[in-house]
Amino acid sequence: MWTLIKHRIFQLILVVWGVGTLTFVLMRSLPGDMAYRIAASRYGQDSVDSDAAELVRQELGLDASWWQSYLHWLVDLMQFNLGASLVSGLPVIETVQHQLGHSVLLAFTSVLLASLIAILVGVLSAFRQGTLDHSFLWLSTLLRSMPVFVIGLMLILVFAVAWPILPVAGFGTWQHLVLPTVALALSLAAVSNRVVRNNTLKVIRAPFYQFAAIKGLSPSQTFVQHGIRNISVPVIVFIGIQLVTVIEGIVMIESLFSWPGIGHGLAHAIFARDIPVIQGCALMMGVLFVLLNTCVDLLCHWIDPRGAQA
Amino acid sequence: MMAQLNINQKIGVGLLLGLLLVASGIVQWSPYHIADQDLSGRLLAPSAEHWLGTDHFGRDMLTRIASAIQLSFVLSFFCVLTSATLGVSLGVITAWKGGRLAQGMDVIVNILLALPGLVLVLLFAAIVPGSLLVLYLAITLTQWVEYFRVSRAITHTIINSPARQLSEMMGFGPWYQFRRHIWPELTHSILTLASFGGANAILTMASLGFVYVGIQPPLAELGLMSVELFPYYAQAPWILVQPLLAIATLVFGFHLLAGNKHDSAH
Amino acid sequence: MTELSYAAIRRRKTRIKAALTGGVGLVLCLMFVLFGQATSNNQTRSNTLAISGPWEFTSLEPSKQGYIYTRMNILETLLNVDTKGALIPGLARTWQSSADEKTWTLTLQPNVLFQDGSPLNASAVVSALRIAQGKHGVLKKAPIKAIRVKNPQQVEMVLSQPHTVLPALLAHYSTAILAPSAYNQEGVVSRLIGSGAYQLDTFAPPHKLTVKANPTYWGVKPSIEYAQYLTGHRAESRILQAKSGEADIVYTLDAAMLEQLSRADNVVVHSDAIPRTLLLKLNAGHPFLGSVEARQALSLAINRPAIAEQVLHVAEAASDQIFASSMGAWYLDQPQENYSLEKAASLLAGLGWQKDDQGWLVRDGKRFQLTLTTYADRPELTTVSTALQDQWKRLGVDLKVDVTNSSMIPSRHADNTLEVALIARNLGVIADPVSLIANEYTQGGGDWGAMNWHSTQVDQALERLTTQSDPVQAKRDAQLVATAIYQEKPVISVANYQQHNAVNTRIKGYQFDPFLRDYFINKMELVDHVDAH
Repeated sequence: MWTLIKHRIFQLILVVWGVGTLTFVLMRSLPGDMAYRIAASRYGQDSVDSDAAELVRQELGLDASWWQSYLHWLVDLMQFNLGASLVSGLPVIETVQHQLGHSVLLAFTSVLLASLIAILVGVLSAFRQGTLDHSFLWLSTLLRSMPVFVIGLMLILVFAVAWPILPVAGFGTWQHLVLPTVALALSLAAVSNRVVRNNTLKVIRAPFYQFAAIKGLSPSQTFVQHGIRNISVPVIVFIGIQLVTVIEGIVMIESLFSWPGIGHGLAHAIFARDIPVIQGCALMMGVLFVLLNTCVDLLCHWIDPRGAQA
Repeated sequence: MMAQLNINQKIGVGLLLGLLLVASGIVQWSPYHIADQDLSGRLLAPSAEHWLGTDHFGRDMLTRIASAIQLSFVLSFFCVLTSATLGVSLGVITAWKGGRLAQGMDVIVNILLALPGLVLVLLFAAIVPGSLLVLYLAITLTQWVEYFRVSRAITHTIINSPARQLSEMMGFGPWYQFRRHIWPELTHSILTLASFGGANAILTMASLGFVYVGIQPPLAELGLMSVELFPYYAQAPWILVQPLLAIATLVFGFHLLAGNKHDSAH
Repeated sequence: MTELSYAAIRRRKTRIKAALTGGVGLVLCLMFVLFGQATSNNQTRSNTLAISGPWEFTSLEPSKQGYIYTRMNILETLLNVDTKGALIPGLARTWQSSADEKTWTLTLQPNVLFQDGSPLNASAVVSALRIAQGKHGVLKKAPIKAIRVKNPQQVEMVLSQPHTVLPALLAHYSTAILAPSAYNQEGVVSRLIGSGAYQLDTFAPPHKLTVKANPTYWGVKPSIEYAQYLTGHRAESRILQAKSGEADIVYTLDAAMLEQLSRADNVVVHSDAIPRTLLLKLNAGHPFLGSVEARQALSLAINRPAIAEQVLHVAEAASDQIFASSMGAWYLDQPQENYSLEKAASLLAGLGWQKDDQGWLVRDGKRFQLTLTTYADRPELTTVSTALQDQWKRLGVDLKVDVTNSSMIPSRHADNTLEVALIARNLGVIADPVSLIANEYTQGGGDWGAMNWHSTQVDQALERLTTQSDPVQAKRDAQLVATAIYQEKPVISVANYQQHNAVNTRIKGYQFDPFLRDYFINKMELVDHVDAH
C-alpha cells in the first residue's frame, strides 16, 4: 500500500510540473498579441484599444522573455503560489476554489446518480434477460450517440419550457442542480450500466455463484453474499475512469446551464488568455485525477486485497 | 475480415459505408453549393427542390448535411488511423523494450491522461482557430494514449508467453514475432478502440462547434450546424433535427461496429 | 497477507461504510455551503427582480465592468444622459465652464449619502475622479490639468485646452463616484460603495450579484427590495429563462429567436434602437482597397435590406451611414443608397478588375481576395459575415471569414495586417460621440474606426468640434465629417442595432436606456405580490 501511495505522490509531482509546462507552452504559442487579448477581457469589447493593451503590457510585464516568466512561474509554484488572474486580478487559488466547489458538487451528484441508475439498470437487465435487456441496450446506445449538450437541451425543453417545473439555467438552489446533474448522469449511465450488466452476468454465471445457489442460499442471499463484492471491483474502477471523463462533459454542461464551475472557467480563461487561471484549472484537474485514481485504487484494495500487488 | 464480424457489426459497417456513399454522391451531384445563399428562401420545408429544406440563409440543407457528414468521416478516419498507428507501435515497442523508454512513456501518458481530452483540444483549437489540421492533430494527440495502453498491456502478456519465447529462440526476427504472436491478439481490441475513437472524434468535433471554436463559416460541420440552427427549433424543428440525427447515426454506426464486447473494453 | 478472518471482513465493511458516509456527507456539506450563501437572506420571488444578461463581471473596478454597477443602480455618475443623448443632472446639479472654456465647475447635489453613510462632498468626488483618471478609461485621454475642491459642494476641473466633451465624459461609467472607503491604499476598489438606489448584497463573480434597496437614497426611492443579475452566456438559455418566467427582464435577445416569445402571454418584447452600428472597417492602405471607387463598389454590392430583414430580423435596421437618426447633428438626412451589383461591377471594371472563368475578379494576375476579421462575442457578426461572403462572391470578390477574438481588431490594426473587419461599434459609449470620432477618424484612423485613411478636412473639423462650442459651427462640422465618411467610405455601414429585451408582465414601470447606462430598477415595481410564498 505504501509503495502505491509513494508511486502516486511521485506521479502527482510529475503531473503538476507536466501539466503546467504544457499549458505554458501551448498558451505562449497562441496567435495574436497577448496584451490585446487580456485587455479585451478586462475592459470589454467596446473599450479594448491600443492604449488599454499598452497599459496591460506595462502592468503585467508581458515583455519579459518566455523563460523568465516560466522560471518565475516555477518558483512561485514551489511556494504553492498560483499567481493572480490576469483579467480580474484576483488570486487564482481563490477563483479556482470557488469554481471547484461548484464543479465537484455537480460532478459528485451526477456520478452518484449515474452509479445509482447504472447499478439498478445494469443488475436488472442482467437478471432479466430478453426484452428488458434489449430495450435498455437500445436506450443506452441511443443516449450514447448523443453529445451531452443535446441531452441537456432536450431536458431543458421538456422540464423547463414545455413543463416549467425546473429552472433553465443558473445556480444557487437545489432546483438549479437537477437538470445539469440529470443530463450528465444520463450520459454517464448510458455507458456504465452496460459495464454493470456484463460484470453481473459474468459473476452470476460463474461456478462459485451457481454453487452458492445450489447449496441452498436464497437468490437474494446469494447476491448479497457472493454477488455484490465481486461485481463491485470492476464497476468501481470504471466509475473512477468516468469521474475523469465527467470533466469533459462538465465543460459543455456548465456552459449550457450557466454553472460557474471549473470547466466553464477554463473555457473562458482559454478565450481570455488568462494563463495563470488556465494553469490553475488544468493543475487542479490533474491533481484531482491523480487523487481520484488513488482513491479508486485504495477502495479496490479494501474490497479485494488480492489485487494489491498489481 | 468481414466474416469475423457479427450481425450487429455488419449492420454498423453497412450503415457507415452507406452514409458515406450517399453523402459523397450528394456532394458530387447536388446542384447547390454549401455556401449558396438565397435569403428570400429561408427555413423552407422539405420540397422537391430542397429535399431537406433550407437553413436560415436559404442554403440547401441536403447539400450541407452531406458535406458535413463527409467532413466528419474524413476527419475521424484520419484521427483513428494516425492515433491507432502511433499508439499501437509505441505500445508494442515500449512493452518489448521496457527500461528507460517505458519510464519516459509513463510520464508522458500520465500527463496526457491528467488533462481532459476536450480541454486539450480546446487549447489547440484556440491556438489556430478554424484549422482542420490542428483539430486533427489535437484529437489524435488525445486518442493515441488509449491504443498505447491497451496494446502495451496485451503485448506485455504475450512477450512472456512460451510461444513467443520459443519463436525467439528459434531465431525468428522481431517482425515475424509481431506478425505471428502479437498482432492477432491485438486486432480485436484495436478494432473496438478504433470504432470508439471514430465516434469520439465526431462527438469532439461537434462539442467544439458547440463552444464556438473549430470551424469557420461557411464550412458545414455538424456541431456548428446544430448550434446555428438551434434558435429555430420552434419555427423549423425539422432543420434542427437533421444535424443531431446525423451525429447520432454516425456515432451509432461506430458503436455497432464496436460490437457487443465493447463494454469490457476499458 | 491474504489470510482472511471474519473480524477483518467486518472491519473492512465498516471502513467502506465510513468512506461512503463520508462521501455523501461531503456532498451534503458542499450543497449546504453553496446553497446556504444564496439563501441566507430573505429573498423571495415576490420581492426580487431577476435580471439576465450576457455580460460577465470579474472585478469591482468601475474602469472594467462599471457598466454593470451603474446599470444595477449601485454606482452613479456626476452627469446622466437622457434617452435622446442630452446631458442631464446626476450627482452634479449644474456644470458650467469659464469664458475660456478651460475651467469647469460642477455643483453637487446636496444631502447625498454614500451607502456606508458618509456624505458625498467635493473632496470625495475629487478623490474618486483622480483615481479614475489614473486607470484605463475616458478621463485618462482628456487634457485635464487639475481636479480640485473649490468648496465643499463644488468641484473644479482645469484643462490644458478647451475640451467640449468633458461633461459627456463625466457620464461615462468609468467616472462613477465611489465613497472614499471603497478604495484601498493603492486606489484599488476593495468594496463597492456608491451612492445609488441599490447597494451590493452578494457578489459571486463572474455570474451572479444581488443588490438590496438603499433606504437612504437621495433620488426616487426604490420599491423593489432585491434585484439579482445573472450572466447567461448562451442566447438560447436566456430566451428560455424569459419564457419560463425565471428571469423578469432578459437583456439582449437573439432576434432570430423572438418568434417563440410571441405566443407567450407572460412576456413582452421591447425592441429599441441603440447607438451601435454594424460596420465594415476597411484598410485603405491595402492595394485593393486604396481607391474610393473600390470601397464604394464593395458598399454597393451589399444588399442591406436583405441582411436587415433576413439575417438581423429587423427590416428597419438597414443603414448605409454609421450614425443613426438618433444622433442628431451627425445624421445625414438623405435616402439610402440602392443595392446595385451592376454599378459596383462597372466601378471595379474601371479600376482594371476583370472576371476570370470561375467568376472571380482578377487584376494583374491577382485575385480580389480579402480576409474579413470578426469576433464571436456577438453571434450576429458571424451570420452577417456569412451573408456578406455570399453577396460579395456575386461581385467576384473572394472573402475569407476569420472569426476570432475582439482583441484581434485593434491588434491587427496596430500591426497593419487587417484587411476588412466586421465590427459592432458602440458610438454611444460617451454621450457625445465627438471624442470617439476624433480618436477613430483623424490622423489616419484608430483601432475601431478608419484605417490608413487621411482627410485634412475631417481632421480640422474634428479639431474645431473638440475645442470650440459654437453650436452652429458644430452642426456644420458634424455634417461635414459624416458626409466625408459616407462618401469616402473608410468604413462601410451595414445596419444599426436594435436591442431586444424581454420583460415579464409582472414588471411595472420598465424603461430602457439606449445608452445602456441604467436599468432604472428604482423606478420599477413588481405587481404580482399574490403568488408570494
